[in-house]
Amino acid sequence: MISKTAIDHLVEKLGNENVLHEKEDLLTLGYDSTPGVHHLPEVVVYPTSSEQLIAAMEIAQREGLPLTPRGSGTGLSGGSVPVRGGMVVTLTRMNRILEIDEENLTATAEAGVITLDLFNAVAEKGLFYPPDPGSQKISTLGGNVAENAGGLRGLKYGVTRDYVMQLKGVLPDRSLIATGGKSVKDVAGYGFKDLLVGSEGTLGIITEITVKLIPPPQDKRTILAYFNDVRTAGEAVSRIIAAKIIPSTMEIMDRATINCVEDYVKIGLPREMAALLLIEVDGHPAPVAEEADGVRRILEQVKAAEVHVAKDADHAASLAAARRTALSALARVSPTTLLEDATVPRSRLAETFGEIERLGGKYKLKVGTFGHAGDGNLHPTVLCDERDHDEMERAHAFYNELYEKVLAWGGTVSGEHGIGLAKKEYLARQVGPGGVQVMKRIKQAFDPEGILNPGKIFEEKDPGTKQHVEEGFRVSH
Amino acid sequence: MSATDKKNLQGNFKPQDAPQYADVLQCMRCGFCLPTCPTYALTGRERSNPRGRVALARAVAEEKLEFTPAVMEEAFFCLDCRACTTACPSGVRAGEVMEICRSQAHAFYPLGKVGKAFREFVLEKMVVSPDRLEKSMIPTRLYQRLGIQWLVRHLRVLKLGPDWMEKAEGMLPDLEKPLRPQLPDVVPAKGEKRGRVGFFLGCVMTLMYPNVSRNTVRVLAHQGFDVVTPKETKCCGAPHLSEGDRETARQLAQFNLDLFLAKDIDYIVTDCAGCGAALKEYEEMLEGRAEQDKLALFRSKIRDISEFLVEVGLRTEGLKEVRTSVTYHEPCHLCHAQGISKQPREIIRKIPGVELREMNESSWCCGSAATWGLKYSDDSKKVLDRKLDNVAATGADYLVTGNPGCHLQLAWGLREREMPQSVLHLIELLGRATPED
Ligand SMILES: Cc1cc2nc3c(=O)[nH]c(=O)nc-3n(C[C@H](O)[C@H](O)[C@H](O)COP(=O)(O)OP(=O)(O)OC[C@H]3O[C@@H](n4cnc5c(N)ncnc54)[C@H](O)[C@@H]3O)c2cc1C
Ligand code: SF4
Ligand code: SF4
Repeated sequence: MISKTAIDHLVEKLGNENVLHEKEDLLTLGYDSTPGVHHLPEVVVYPTSSEQLIAAMEIAQREGLPLTPRGSGTGLSGGSVPVRGGMVVTLTRMNRILEIDEENLTATAEAGVITLDLFNAVAEKGLFYPPDPGSQKISTLGGNVAENAGGLRGLKYGVTRDYVMQLKGVLPDRSLIATGGKSVKDVAGYGFKDLLVGSEGTLGIITEITVKLIPPPQDKRTILAYFNDVRTAGEAVSRIIAAKIIPSTMEIMDRATINCVEDYVKIGLPREMAALLLIEVDGHPAPVAEEADGVRRILEQVKAAEVHVAKDADHAASLAAARRTALSALARVSPTTLLEDATVPRSRLAETFGEIERLGGKYKLKVGTFGHAGDGNLHPTVLCDERDHDEMERAHAFYNELYEKVLAWGGTVSGEHGIGLAKKEYLARQVGPGGVQVMKRIKQAFDPEGILNPGKIFEEKDPGTKQHVEEGFRVSH
Repeated sequence: MSATDKKNLQGNFKPQDAPQYADVLQCMRCGFCLPTCPTYALTGRERSNPRGRVALARAVAEEKLEFTPAVMEEAFFCLDCRACTTACPSGVRAGEVMEICRSQAHAFYPLGKVGKAFREFVLEKMVVSPDRLEKSMIPTRLYQRLGIQWLVRHLRVLKLGPDWMEKAEGMLPDLEKPLRPQLPDVVPAKGEKRGRVGFFLGCVMTLMYPNVSRNTVRVLAHQGFDVVTPKETKCCGAPHLSEGDRETARQLAQFNLDLFLAKDIDYIVTDCAGCGAALKEYEEMLEGRAEQDKLALFRSKIRDISEFLVEVGLRTEGLKEVRTSVTYHEPCHLCHAQGISKQPREIIRKIPGVELREMNESSWCCGSAATWGLKYSDDSKKVLDRKLDNVAATGADYLVTGNPGCHLQLAWGLREREMPQSVLHLIELLGRATPED
């Protein structure tokens, strides 16, 4: 238990409204969007400056509390769940956009800024920040950096990492770090910045982020293709890429997903189709027209059931918005939605769909699949009930077997959601014991006492932390 | 524990009117609702947003938490604006879960003697019978509208916002005579007759906005409908639901259901978004208490006035020109609770001469939310200011809406800020275009 004096201290340094310790608050700050994981912290702080952050970290150290950084809690691997209790550090009140530099095409913002807010702010100045995870209305930039989030535009524009130019933050020993800068080239020493991107809050707490901006595309075409079977859709994706066309977006939804999404958005998606692809090409008007034609030709060659073109920008936006709700909409069907993040080389897409279908049948599970098809990044989602033990076992077996194939094909166990709590054992399988060893040594170098987000990515021995397990709270994957 | 054992987990809830466990499990915690929740925008506190509120209810059901005063506080701090219902792709209805938690609050924290008598007087005697209300004196009417219950609760737990009395009085419009006694039982259709509708005249409408509902009847008749207004109509039950008194709400529902089903009418139309939302919930409220086909029949007849006019097609011939510009505020109980968003705009656009200027965030709550605006007057002011800034940016002549609660709050806010706009119910605007005979 955190001491009363420590709470008083925190309140003194951060202000009453920025320190929460009532049970009702703790209960609602011990989860993220990952099913089945939940753990109570002992206290939650909302620093509004780096100074406050450092003050809170100092008190945590005195009290022997581990620290778990948190953004908006939309993570899908349990990254911000405080499995060892301690202090949750929420960055949502450090949410100022500090600068939009139109000369250098960069924007600098605090870590708690909501992704879409940054997008809108730079769009007002005629600039473009491409990374757009499905959660962009809610997620924070800090969370995006920590998970190296992808999005719908990843295929052409890349992921969060590709836009991070500079990071400022606080290391576990409370020293300030600033790494990278506005120069477009920088090879001075080890690339700490790149190490922090995707570090899932285990190496440092990010407070400020400078990202690269680009001019927005001048033109855009949105195409919607329906398919009678999922594998053909997968083939279409591989063929489009093989034809050297790089759409900005190539998203897939299968029948289960189409139906759930349509239940919510009611915009006339084809309920009877086995799959649909949402394809967007953008850039200068002439090549856009050419690429759109190219895409349409390929869709006809592979015998897509129907091909439609979005009527106007509003229609295109409503289609993309509909796609973003896929995961939550699937949650309509069953109490628990177990989602995975398997990613394969794009040429393997059709086979991966085949495998998902086969395994779904083998383990008698209801599966809905959607994802960033152009990135080879699929989210096969098992629609189940966490109260049904047997079903949960089968779901586990399903993923086990699927990942075996994915790894054999040279894929990865996580394309964008990270390892967190949920995928530790799969990571070890993918990178091997040697790989995990090196990761642990890097973690050691940054955080010798193991106080920052313990229990994530790999099982560590963490002599510096106490284990607090709240009775009745399950920690599982 | 097997799946079935836990199916209807109630845990630390009282068995009567507990949230359905399946309904709280449905939340997958994606957070899509977060940016739409006005109370989260105010506090930035997870427990004051839909995801957090559902998590609290789940924790109570799973016996990880007692039904604590903080849970009760969240149930009442929730505006019940239902913006989260609209935003949730998974079909979770956090606002309704909180509404149910309000009745739990009464079970867990029974009112003191004085409070109880007072509450009974207001909610069970006054509000249920319009006749009594209409004959009573103005202060009682005021209490009825604003739901004196907050005072009652205040005696127990909640602190009332500062200056509430001043605000309450400042909000009160000039009162005319109640409309109900003045309305004929049946007003015949004009022109080519298209059908016969029952008019559900809400308590607040008859008492505070008689002119709005007078227009509703006139417009309906002009549109070719016989308008039947049953004098015996009781309160729709919305104030009771919102204050957590589900039992009285059910009794009222049963009464109104029988009353209207006995009439020879094709539709039941209301011009109060709050009533409309409650009437559409009778089916759920009375499940197992009334016959299913009766409930379904009643449900199939309920329409908000804007929904109704668009569905049957607005007859525009003969409408007079109204040269003005308006902006539209969507009542939560219309857009979020009933999913009616396009229809009022469609009607505005069809009125000759009217220019519709869309405001930003038109579906963001105005901060009135029944008695919420008095309980949390500082917070309510912030929510209202956000709305009024958006209104000001349009530069429109009128602010159009469709719910008495919003009407009261917005009119008060506009006066306080000395803004040039005044508030009109959609039907008042249409009334101006509709020729007097
Ligand atoms: C419906 C839905 C759709 C999604 N779609 C996508 C998608 O398309 N692509 C994608 O990549 N992801 C997606 N996600 C996953 C998730 O939104 C992203 O991982 C996002 O980046 C998390 O941001 P957050 O602010 O919610 O972080 P949180 O969930 O709060 O935290 C995530 C991790 O980051 C760490 N962290 C947070 N802030 C900081 C900081 N300032 N410094 C250091 N560490 C920090 C935490 O400790 C944790 O490990 C989706 C999630 C949902 C619910
Ligand atoms: S209530 Fe709906 S939108 Fe909100 S977190 Fe839960 S599932 Fe997501
Ligand atoms: S009903 Fe309104 S105030 Fe209540 S949780 Fe939902 S969005 Fe928030």
